[in-house]
Amino acid sequence: MTSLSSVSKKLFRYLLLAAFSVSTSAGANAASCPDDDAVALSWLDKMSRSLRQANYHGVVTLQRDGDMQVMQVSHIVGDGSSSERLVELTGRGAQVERLSHPLDCIHPGDRLLRGEALLPEKSCGIATHYRFAVTPGERVAGREVVRIVIEPRYMYRFGYVVDLDEETGIMLKAQTIGHDHKILETMQFANIVYSDNLPEFSQADVIHTAQHLDPQSASAQDPVTRAWNIGWLPLGFAATGPSTGTSERRTYTDGFAVFSVFLEELNVEVRAGEGLVKRGGTTSYTRGMRIDDQPVLVTVIGEVPVNTARMVADSLDWLP
Amino acid sequence: MDERMGESLSALMDDEANELELERVLAQVSQDPELRRAWIRYNVAQQAVQGSQIARLDWDISERVKSSLEVSSATAREPTGIGFKQRMLRPFVSLAVAASVAATVVIGGQQLALIGSDDPYDYGRSVATNASPVGMLNSLGATTVQASYGMQAVPILEPATSKAYQELALQRHRKYMQEHAEQAALNAPQGLIPFVRVPQIQE
Repeated sequence: MTSLSSVSKKLFRYLLLAAFSVSTSAGANAASCPDDDAVALSWLDKMSRSLRQANYHGVVTLQRDGDMQVMQVSHIVGDGSSSERLVELTGRGAQVERLSHPLDCIHPGDRLLRGEALLPEKSCGIATHYRFAVTPGERVAGREVVRIVIEPRYMYRFGYVVDLDEETGIMLKAQTIGHDHKILETMQFANIVYSDNLPEFSQADVIHTAQHLDPQSASAQDPVTRAWNIGWLPLGFAATGPSTGTSERRTYTDGFAVFSVFLEELNVEVRAGEGLVKRGGTTSYTRGMRIDDQPVLVTVIGEVPVNTARMVADSLDWLP
Repeated sequence: MDERMGESLSALMDDEANELELERVLAQVSQDPELRRAWIRYNVAQQAVQGSQIARLDWDISERVKSSLEVSSATAREPTGIGFKQRMLRPFVSLAVAASVAATVVIGGQQLALIGSDDPYDYGRSVATNASPVGMLNSLGATTVQASYGMQAVPILEPATSKAYQELALQRHRKYMQEHAEQAALNAPQGLIPFVRVPQIQE
């Protein structure tokens, strides 16, 4: 009885906080959505903002395909920008860092999570493509969380179960769920400390500075000789950069899932065929085919089911 | 390709390499185009000599490489001073190693165009007009031998195409995953964590 009462209180607290968040957030679309979606959308809005506002460091695990990778992460905000660092503690031990990322630089994925109308569809934003259920969750890394169960409305996406820090909105745990309800991948904090005093990080032999790609700039690598077009995308996916032209890559996001399409022109004939690599929640689909008379190799990589990747690859065409 | 690597490759192809030389070449071959080309040249020459055995290869690339490495590992426990070939109990293992690595190199070279006019053995044309780079993968040795030396092709092209595409997908996964992660890290709610999905983060 006590625990039930405790759960009821927590749920009430979530709804109260969520209602307040909705009224103050930029998620204009949320107001016209069903109440349960509004609660979830407000939490997602908070999650998106918190990722850029909080000072924290911790250890994160990524479990997939029976394997576990461990990493050390940190995030510091100051002087109008944020700096992130990740060091692999398993595997090769590489370090990735992104320094001085302006806080007012909001990329399409965050804009979708905040309910901005990036797409022409009349909708409740991402609630058009996912069903949400908000429930109390179990503690993660010693922190109280709110759990959001995110179920795709159509088969072109995976589902997610995310646990957000009840106080800060930081995503402490995320599971990617396949169509058969199989958990494809689990990311979670093993511990997290909210502080601007960073611990000493492990030494890394490989240090990569994450690119900060301007949403308006095209990929400069290996441009193809003709402008090309993707004829079919799952509804709700927005381009993270220019979606026309001759760049080798296009990337799309719906706020949760991201996939990239790479096109290579071949100077020799190609025997039609396809190959597939699956790693946890990541699909990598490569297809050899012709577009008109031009042999090409198309690769779709991202956190989407293989049928989505295949349909996207099928729809490639040259622009007149 | 430095002189030492050339000597290792030469020793390998002459069946005189030790396991360390084999491992050195295997480790380096994916990053050294000159070594790749030399390996393929040696491989074709060796096939010309031992061409009648070509059809015995099953073209299971990953297994070939794996088994060759296992053989290499096993031989490390044997007394030194024994030639590479002598330590191979099966008669055509060294050829299998060469062929499998040559085939892997074609894909591992990242650019399918590698098999083109740049190639002194002219694989691109010899594989004919209706064959693919992927087709070339599984028929690389056989087709070249067929064109140049009148041998019969390996009669398993279609299944091997499927395997070739699988290997190709794996190569493209490695090639593109980091660029995808750059985008995912900016457009999914996990910060830099998408980079951990990259098989090998490059600077």
